[in-house]
Amino acid sequence: MIVNLTRPMLVFDDLHKSFGDIRALDGCSFQVRPGKMLGFLGPNGAGKTTAMRAVFGLIRPDSGQVLWEGRPVEKDTATRFGYMPEQRGLYPKMRLHDLLVYMGRLHGMSKGDAAASADSWLERLGLAERATDRVEALSHGNQQRVQLAAALVHDPDVMILDEPFSGLDPIAVDTMSGILREAAAQGKAVVFSSHQLDLVEDLCEEVAIINQGRVVVEGDVKQLKEASPYRRLEIDFDGDIGDLAGALDGVHDLVSFNGHHQLTIDANTDIRQFLARAQETGHLRTFSYTAPSLSDLFREAVR
Amino acid sequence: MRNLGLVALREMREGLRSKTFLITTLVTMGLVAAIILLPQMLGGGTQNHTVGLVGDGSAEIVDTAVRLGNAADEDGEEPSVAIETREYASRDEGVTALQEGEVEALVVDGEEVVLRNIGIMGSGVTGLLQQAAAARSLEEVLEEHGQVAAVVIETLTSDPLRVTTPDGDADEEGGQRWIVAQAGMFLLYMAILIYGSWILTGVTEEKSSRVVEVLLSAVHPWQLLGGKVLGIGGLGLAQFIITIIVALAAVNYTGIEIPALEPVLLGNLVLWFILGFLVFAVLFGAAGSLASRTEDAQGVAMPMSMIAVAGLFISFAALENPEGTVAVVGSLVPFTAPFVVPVRVALDAIPWWQYALSVGLAILGIVIFVRIAGRIYSGALLRFGTRTKFRDAWRSADL
Ligand SMILES: Nc1ncnc2c1ncn2[C@@H]1O[C@H](COP(=O)(O)OP(=O)(O)O)[C@@H](O)[C@H]1O
Ligand SMILES: [Mg+2]
Repeated sequence: MIVNLTRPMLVFDDLHKSFGDIRALDGCSFQVRPGKMLGFLGPNGAGKTTAMRAVFGLIRPDSGQVLWEGRPVEKDTATRFGYMPEQRGLYPKMRLHDLLVYMGRLHGMSKGDAAASADSWLERLGLAERATDRVEALSHGNQQRVQLAAALVHDPDVMILDEPFSGLDPIAVDTMSGILREAAAQGKAVVFSSHQLDLVEDLCEEVAIINQGRVVVEGDVKQLKEASPYRRLEIDFDGDIGDLAGALDGVHDLVSFNGHHQLTIDANTDIRQFLARAQETGHLRTFSYTAPSLSDLFREAVR
Repeated sequence: MRNLGLVALREMREGLRSKTFLITTLVTMGLVAAIILLPQMLGGGTQNHTVGLVGDGSAEIVDTAVRLGNAADEDGEEPSVAIETREYASRDEGVTALQEGEVEALVVDGEEVVLRNIGIMGSGVTGLLQQAAAARSLEEVLEEHGQVAAVVIETLTSDPLRVTTPDGDADEEGGQRWIVAQAGMFLLYMAILIYGSWILTGVTEEKSSRVVEVLLSAVHPWQLLGGKVLGIGGLGLAQFIITIIVALAAVNYTGIEIPALEPVLLGNLVLWFILGFLVFAVLFGAAGSLASRTEDAQGVAMPMSMIAVAGLFISFAALENPEGTVAVVGSLVPFTAPFVVPVRVALDAIPWWQYALSVGLAILGIVIFVRIAGRIYSGALLRFGTRTKFRDAWRSADL
């Protein structure tokens, strides 16, 4: 099968949703492409959870829709979706294996397939020995793993994960990252929200940044960075930085600490003269000239 | 439909494996058996007494007392009364024995009964002895006229008055139907309260554990609610059948006759049991979705419990006056019909068209309640935090 990687598969199409006076979604549009993991970013209350809930019909948008392969998502097609809600929760009294089988079957699997998949997930998450333990007997971290397995036990084509990394220890973060990477590599559409921008930068090819219910930045991370009108210039320099920076055009920001200086400058500023001058007027030990980080893009976008 | 079945199956499986189910089953079985068997153990069997005798005429009174007490017994049964006697030479000797607890009463010269203290006056044996003494005097009088003692005793223990009601003879069959209808009503009431609250806490637990969001991403709210009602209803029915089997076994053991039920009456009871359970189960489910924590759940469900109590009271009114306005209206309202209609059927006091209408309205009611409850359920399930108001849940229903 040839997967057309550029064909958008999951489309958030101009979603609007108000709760009383609160506009949770105000024209939220973006696309998730199979095989390209998308990081869904935004400050608290921006509308991430509301948008994700709209996929599953957990909230009904006032207008707009979520399309999957060109058709509105229904409960019946939702069996190909996996959802990890922000509000985690499992049946505390159920045994792990039973719970995963139940989740698999609710998503359309046969009993045998669900049991096999539950086994392999428990194995993979290192919980095989605890298959008959009750959920409530597990540590917080292990409950999180089971939550992930519950979302993915039916091998969904689309994964929607609301802050999957929050509250995870570094080992669990690695497990989670591995699972998501693998899923994207298999051509699945993966979208997750997170406040851990370094992680997003590591994992995601694409991002969508939402602010006040509206997606303000969307696209390929690398291209977004390239397209940024700013660059980041960092130098370790002993000398008069004020004098030096004053001679440079288009400096937007300067942060200095202990001989280390961060400058935000226009992308088209020529820095060759600046570097030459730095070497003349003081001691320039290191320098780096980079596109802005995802954090920079984020701050810029939601300012 | 598949998901509905899966939800129901999960409820049954988990329910069967839970300690609560095991414990409530054992407790209800024990309670029912105890309620049926205890009166037999305490009151049934033989009343044993020990009575002291002094002087002439005392032994005859005790003999008569035993004959009187056992006159209504059937052949082969254990006697109802057995009196052991001890003879004493004088009143003083007898009184000493009485005070030492050897006997519970002392009959002196066929003329006096001495008790340890007045507190046990009217204890079984005193009354029996009084009756016996009276019967003996009567015997003496009648013997002078040539009558025999056996006739006196038979006359004294017969029920010469015919008992009737304004409707005619209080025939035994009617009485049994009435008892069955009453029992069915109480069973329904119990089932509503017990299994209704299972549904209530089950729904609230799904909400408080937050598992509901994952579930609703794959399942419609009505499937989740309906599956729960069916699953827990099925479990409840199983527990109920077990309890009834235990009850029947216990009744059989006591030797009490079980009224033979006409199949139509039984079918009617089962039909209304199921209808009544469904009406209330759906409402309890909706109520459970309004609460966020288990502690709040009972409060939210208060109105439902009150409605069930009201149904019970209206059915009492229907017993008094089975064709009155209260009874007719009660038969047509889906909440109260399950309590009222079986009573009226048992009393043969409901026209067929009212019966058909009440069944139709109850079914219609269930269909409507499922929709209303589904809407409340979906509006409330994703609102965590405080207790959701009915109105807010209704308005924000999204699913
Ligand atoms: N069920 C709800 N009722 C009322 N307000 C809500 C509800 N869900 C979300 N909101 C509000 O909508 C806004 C967006 O919330 P949310 O989507 O949870 O943001 P995020 O996930 O990006 O933090 C917030 O202001 C939030 O308070
Ligand atoms: Mg959120």
